[in-house]
Amino acid sequence: MSTVAWAAWVALVMATALTTTNPYVLAILLAAVVLVAVAAPRTERAGLGLRVMLALGLGLFVFSIGAAMINTGFGERVLFTLPRASAPDWLGGLALGGDVTAETLVAGAVRGAVVLAVLLGFAVFSGAVSAHAILRLAPAALFHAGLVVTIGLALLPATITDIRRIREMQALRGRPTGLRGLPALVAPAVMGGLDRAMRFAEAMEARGYAAPPAVPARTRLAGVAAAPLLVAAAWVWFYQPEVRWIGVATALAGAGALLFWGWDCARRQRVTRLTVEREPLPLRIAARLSFAGAVALVVADLGGWLPGGYNPFAGFPAPPFSALAVTPAVAALWPLPFLAAAPRPRTRSEPAVSPSPP
Amino acid sequence: MSAIATVERVSYAYPSGDGPALRDVDMEVGEGRFVVVAGPSAGGKSTFLRLFNGLVPQFTGGCIAGRVTVAGLDAARTPTRTLALTAGMVFQDPEAQAIADRVEDEVAFALEQRATPRAELRARVDGALRSLAIDHLRERRLSTLSGGERQRVAIAAALALGPRLLLLDEPASQLDAEGAAVVLDAVARLHHERGLATLVVEHRLDRLLPLADDVVRVEGGMAVRLNPRRFAAEYEGAPAVARLARRLALDPLPLTIEEARDWHGPALARARACPMPPPPAAGDELLRAEGLTLAYGETEALRGVELTLREGETLALLGPNGSGKSSLLRAVVGLARPRSGAIRFRARPAPAATAERSAFAGFVPQEPALALYHPTVAAEIGASLRGRSGAREREAALERWGFTALAARDPRELSAGQQQRVAIAAMLAHEPPVWLLDEPTRGADAPARAWLAARLRDHAARGGAAVVATHDAEFAARVATRVLRLKAGRVAFDLPAREAFGGDGPMPSPTARLVDGAILPEEVVA
Repeated sequence: MSTVAWAAWVALVMATALTTTNPYVLAILLAAVVLVAVAAPRTERAGLGLRVMLALGLGLFVFSIGAAMINTGFGERVLFTLPRASAPDWLGGLALGGDVTAETLVAGAVRGAVVLAVLLGFAVFSGAVSAHAILRLAPAALFHAGLVVTIGLALLPATITDIRRIREMQALRGRPTGLRGLPALVAPAVMGGLDRAMRFAEAMEARGYAAPPAVPARTRLAGVAAAPLLVAAAWVWFYQPEVRWIGVATALAGAGALLFWGWDCARRQRVTRLTVEREPLPLRIAARLSFAGAVALVVADLGGWLPGGYNPFAGFPAPPFSALAVTPAVAALWPLPFLAAAPRPRTRSEPAVSPSPP
Repeated sequence: MSAIATVERVSYAYPSGDGPALRDVDMEVGEGRFVVVAGPSAGGKSTFLRLFNGLVPQFTGGCIAGRVTVAGLDAARTPTRTLALTAGMVFQDPEAQAIADRVEDEVAFALEQRATPRAELRARVDGALRSLAIDHLRERRLSTLSGGERQRVAIAAALALGPRLLLLDEPASQLDAEGAAVVLDAVARLHHERGLATLVVEHRLDRLLPLADDVVRVEGGMAVRLNPRRFAAEYEGAPAVARLARRLALDPLPLTIEEARDWHGPALARARACPMPPPPAAGDELLRAEGLTLAYGETEALRGVELTLREGETLALLGPNGSGKSSLLRAVVGLARPRSGAIRFRARPAPAATAERSAFAGFVPQEPALALYHPTVAAEIGASLRGRSGAREREAALERWGFTALAARDPRELSAGQQQRVAIAAMLAHEPPVWLLDEPTRGADAPARAWLAARLRDHAARGGAAVVATHDAEFAARVATRVLRLKAGRVAFDLPAREAFGGDGPMPSPTARLVDGAILPEEVVA
């Protein structure tokens, strides 16, 4: 699958996850992401990244439920009671603990599942496509930002390897492991990561990657002005409904500034490509539909037109099942036939480097 | 000879430096010259090299005086993006300079960003790949390449931009002997075929010195240009052939074995070997590995390896990358779990936990400086004393390792060579009877190697023993009493060092190839 296709898929996964509160939708989406993850090609390092993201996602899932348990006071179906503690009034009077209800647990689980789906979707995407391919996909105006992200992604596996090696070295020195050994682990890992990042940046600079052609002040100004204009437009639209026309005008101005910035940067930083990724027509259609689906979900969510929303605090009803609501989650399975039909990935058939200790 | 680059009275200081890193350097690099930059660690070699592509001072910051001109461009003021077209640079670490994941994409990346027309882009990429003889790798992923192949990809990527000056900063320092040979041969061929002006910083001088037009010796921030033979006549880290010739007062000074034989055959025939006194007989058994078999997934790294180590022995563990050297050391110390076989310490089964094993067999992995985190050298050493971290024990350990003068310094502010030494000391400060060292001389200069050799000899003299996994055959010849060579996870041979490195042995040293009965230049008298 091409980089564009994977980008379209992850856009659909993220849009689906972030626009739903329905447990059925989230469960189906998670299953779809896991199935695609199993079928997707990935390198050994990407596999490591996937495991890290899975661990992080599950950790956040558990944290979300834990946070819901201590942040009580909502819902009516009490499951058990935790000791209650309140902060003084001058600290806002925040109360923690007390009655833990089924509603808060379900709400916490839904929030955790959203985070888990987003992280897993991103891990599958970043494992299936290279950081370099993502950088090539980035518009010229975002080349610098893309370069920074690329360097970060390229260094992540090396940092994970560093952490493993430092842990080994601390164990060899008879140093404590676990929480007591954390400073001895974190400080060298951070220093090592910074050092590696500096060496990488220096290499980029020496090859002339790091400095795009200068853009004039008016273009930079347009780029800087776009974000506040769009934020102001949103504020006017939502909080000043009587003058929404001003919001529309501000939004148009912001969008115009953004487009001008992107257009002028692209015009000044022309690039060529040695090779172009080929997409068969069915894949191209599927990718475009996936991307369109993601956009439609976001628009529908903003407009409040999405069916299947679930609020456990509204009398703790059973989650509604809507065929329309679960359609995007099922649609997230669309890469499977393309992955099944694809030839065995090159990464697994190529001769490997000499075996080395993991 | 016209100059491609000139350095005029340049002095430079890093923003956080104590003093100038370069002092009043005057230099000229002619078109098509092959210049080797040599000198001790932290002497200013890398800083000197970075003058030519503007990284010093544009990337590093700091204060610079004087002027550097490369192909008519002021290197301190011309943007590095522009200078990259004139002065291409390749760095030490192959991992930290690639951005793409396929070979062809990596070579093309900088040209793509410059909107090079597609036909020209294709021609330049093909040309660069052919020049480095890696045309067959173009579709491969970088992660599947060996270090030597990756470094050649990095050179091809720099070459594709069409530079007139190629700068190489220790391109072989992170590679094993085979990888280093491949890269340095490629650099030599490139210079020969293209006549490209080349500056290369390197510690392994035996391959490069015979090819050099000039040597720039950089030491203490001063740079001096010398004829290669004159340089070899006075430099401590010169190739073994040159050091042997110095001992025998041979003139002219040969730089290769062939030159030595052709020019000074009779004198070499008259030379006598005066071997070092043999080491005392080995004592009791300290370590034994019995039938070790170890696998990573489906790949077998060790296949029935047998190893015995006795008091007073220093065993050099040799073999190409992937032969199982690191795996053997990791298995001994418990970081890797063998599929079968046993480890015994003093004839008893080794404990299961890594911390307990390392109390007896201290392991120094590659890049040990990664784990340094204490604010002072004294604290770093003290943290490894395992319950004996009183002030007196700490001071004794500092004195034993020769760090008394550095005790209050922050390890991270030391030079790379000093950091490496502190890290080695930190891993072994608890005085285990067995030392296991994995590539301890990688990137080390002559004084650093001499320091480590002295520590190993002291340890052996006190009844300790060591296993040193290394690609550095000369260092092995200097310190080892025995040599064990691994090949594809099996023991290829296990011989006394003098037999292994002798003229009739499986790995004759350069000295042994010239003088019967000697393996090191110091063992030869006229």
